[in-house]
Amino acid sequence: MVNLYLHFIRRVSINWIGRLGVILTTSSFITFVCLEILRLGGIMTNAYIGLITYLTFPTLFIAGLLLIPLAWWIQKRREHRSIQELAGERFDADDLVPRPMGSRLVLTISGLTFINIVFMTGASFRTLQFMDSATFCGTACHRVMNPEWTTYQVSPHARVKCVECHVGEGIEALIDSKLSGARQMLMLIFDAYNRPIHTPVKELRPARETCEKCHWPEKFYGRRMDVFEHFRPDETSTPFYTTLNLKIDTGREANHSGIHWHIAAVNEVRYTSVDDERKTMIWVDVRRPDGSYHRYTNRHVVMNHSGMQTPLSGRSTDVRVMDCVDCHNRATHIYEDPENAVDRRLALEQVDRTLPYIKREMLHALTINYSDNETARKGIENHIHGFYRNSYPHLIESQLPAIDEAVRVAREIYDTHVHHTMDLTWNTYPSFNHHQRNTGCFRCHNENVIDSGGNAIAFDCTACHSILAYESETPLHFVGEPDPKDPEFPMHRMLRDEFLGLL
Amino acid sequence: MVRYCKLAVGILLIMGPVLERMGAESPDPKSPAGECMTCHKEKSPGLYRQWFSSSHARHGVTCIDCHAASQEDPDAYQHFDAWISTLVTPKDCSACHEREFREVAGSHHARAGQILKSADAYLAHVTAGHPAAIQGCESCHGAPLKIDPDAPNKLSPLTWPNSGIGRINPDGSEGSCNACHPRHTFAIAQARQPESCSKCHLGPDHPQKEVYEESKHGNTYYTHLAKMNLDSFKWVVGEDYFAAPTCATCHMSATATQTVSHDVGNRLTWNLRPPLSTRQKDWQTKGSRMKDVCSACHGSTFVTGHYHQYDASVRLYNEKFAKPATELMTLIRSKNLLKSPAEFGNTVEWVYWELWHHEGRRARHGASMMGPDYTWWHGFYDIAQHFYFKLIPEARKLNDPDVNTWIDTLLKDDPMHRWLNQPAADLKAAIQSGELQTIYSDLFKAE
Repeated sequence: MVNLYLHFIRRVSINWIGRLGVILTTSSFITFVCLEILRLGGIMTNAYIGLITYLTFPTLFIAGLLLIPLAWWIQKRREHRSIQELAGERFDADDLVPRPMGSRLVLTISGLTFINIVFMTGASFRTLQFMDSATFCGTACHRVMNPEWTTYQVSPHARVKCVECHVGEGIEALIDSKLSGARQMLMLIFDAYNRPIHTPVKELRPARETCEKCHWPEKFYGRRMDVFEHFRPDETSTPFYTTLNLKIDTGREANHSGIHWHIAAVNEVRYTSVDDERKTMIWVDVRRPDGSYHRYTNRHVVMNHSGMQTPLSGRSTDVRVMDCVDCHNRATHIYEDPENAVDRRLALEQVDRTLPYIKREMLHALTINYSDNETARKGIENHIHGFYRNSYPHLIESQLPAIDEAVRVAREIYDTHVHHTMDLTWNTYPSFNHHQRNTGCFRCHNENVIDSGGNAIAFDCTACHSILAYESETPLHFVGEPDPKDPEFPMHRMLRDEFLGLL
Repeated sequence: MVRYCKLAVGILLIMGPVLERMGAESPDPKSPAGECMTCHKEKSPGLYRQWFSSSHARHGVTCIDCHAASQEDPDAYQHFDAWISTLVTPKDCSACHEREFREVAGSHHARAGQILKSADAYLAHVTAGHPAAIQGCESCHGAPLKIDPDAPNKLSPLTWPNSGIGRINPDGSEGSCNACHPRHTFAIAQARQPESCSKCHLGPDHPQKEVYEESKHGNTYYTHLAKMNLDSFKWVVGEDYFAAPTCATCHMSATATQTVSHDVGNRLTWNLRPPLSTRQKDWQTKGSRMKDVCSACHGSTFVTGHYHQYDASVRLYNEKFAKPATELMTLIRSKNLLKSPAEFGNTVEWVYWELWHHEGRRARHGASMMGPDYTWWHGFYDIAQHFYFKLIPEARKLNDPDVNTWIDTLLKDDPMHRWLNQPAADLKAAIQSGELQTIYSDLFKAE
């Protein structure tokens, strides 16, 4: 059998191109099979091996196969002879004798072609499967995707594959994604991609279709309590708390209009934004099933006949129906504010809080302007070690492991959030699912987005959440009895009564 | 003993409304203050924290206590469920600080907004323009606040923001407490520091800040800043602090025998603002109040000696320069000799203006607050140079026989100006012998 195959490939290698084709095809086939056996056997586990196994070898295999007929065609042109004549010369006469099922050569080629088709089907299936894996998305385009890959791996969606959100279902979505991928490949080759990657990503598949596979609106009911633990920049990094009891229902509960009202079945919220950036609203309206609508317009945006013009000289071409990502724009690729990043890790006790000024110094180390990630790693260590060496020399000996752990955590924060190769630094990608720095909710819920009667959309503090602690010493401070001597007495009493439904 | 009783009564009077609030166990449950605080703690954290650190916060004075408005007020607007006004006027503050309100209302500060009728405002409006008048003049003097029904807070952006000390408010009150007690800490410490006054009292025409910094008083203050006890509610010079006086010490604050007064002019003997210095109404009484302040740190001969020198310098300015210069300008104007019909359209008018308004005031302020450089180099030196070598040459350029005769007579007959036609050697000899000084001996005579 082997002899028969060797006999065949010797004959089919009509010139050096043919030989190259045969070598490529055979060797990539054998290597692919070997690597796949090793992978199935659990011997090869390297994430990058898939890139070679499922992309390189099938490509080489097909290239080799194509070279063989090309070689014959070239030889035909060169010698001005027909394929039959060439075949007669290369193969034994016996191979060419016509038989009822076809000549032996035809049978051999058919047999091998059948094997090739089976192999290529299997390989293509494996290739597509591999391209659907997060590893492929995150590592194939390493330079561009590294920030997203890094944040994805530590996100709440780390176990959901990229394609489940970024590529729709069905052949059409598959083709769209491959075309888009090819375009991005060209941009990578010609170094024509944006740094950082521009957001919002407008080609994202409809968020409701994606997100609601797991998070379906019937589940948005009741309240959800979030305790945010922060730390003061003082010697003991004193903790303080803001606790929100978020009203997350869809507004169907009696007398409630919760945050998910925006995506309730009876409401369609639409908006246009300056430059379609989804940051500064031009107008926003809500449509009911009967077709009626109520519109609020941003009075800071002036309209003229050629479109929308603002002091930001923006215009909009897109009327967008609000969905999950308008608020949850960073559900997975979460880039924290440096202070929040430090606070969260202190709250998780990843860092020893008994180290004096540890919050302040970690934050300081993280927010220095470094030129690249490598310099930052060194700089963070220098800063934190330097601080303790100068100010608390006795600690640098006794607490070195804790200090080193703080350095490690600070570096991990930095490398997760700052990526110099992509010009991505602190707060490049703000999150919209809160309202710090007048973004998020306050894009629409503010005093300047008003209806024809001059009324603004509600933006009072307790519309969307009860407040149970507000930079307070304890997480449920306002649940307790207010102290009339406390300057914040009126606020305490009002928030307690609101939470208890006494207002 | 009597003194302490008076002091205790004084403190009680001031603290009365505060104590009343402190005693309030449960503030009005309908007050929207809780809502204000919840939102503004995030929306304007700086403002919120200033308030939180303030004496107001400690005594339960919240946003709505100052910003509440009646729906009929011209600057009232609805903010969520409350009718409020952005503007807080002295009248609003008077709900608790009634005495301070009365004192300010009677003071020169409260009338600073009348500037629109003065020459200064004319100058800014014609030579510069409206924006300069708004941000220059009205920022210190105060603007007559305009109402704009279309503005979100009903206040026209032409006159808001404005914290000029003589602001003319829509409720008819004059002044602005936060000119010296900036929001939202309203700290007494800040009002007691010279920097508070020097927001306005500085520059070429009224360099009180610079004079103070030059003086021993200023020097000592900056050296002993940490010992000034500025945060103490009771702040009696010599008792609660002793290192140095600030502007407030001499012009307003309490002494062992005087209570603090927000009528900032009530210890002044002279009005040094106009071209010709005049005595204040009841200047002897006012002067005795100032001397009482001085005596916390100085002996009586030191104090009377200072006034002896200071009064003479003011009379010198009046007699030698202000009166002749003013007389000359009156003559020029009465004969219609000026080319441009507009005031400040002619060089001679600018020279005369700066003579009294700039260097004339510098000399007098320097003398009043013991700033030698301001008395002489920035003061009389500039006056003399500009009088002899700017004002008189500009007047002579008019080629009018009456004007020339007037000048010649002045320089020939007035002993203070006769030096121009005398040899230097003779003058030097007269200085050595003390003869030249006798020309000025009358200036030292008390009225």
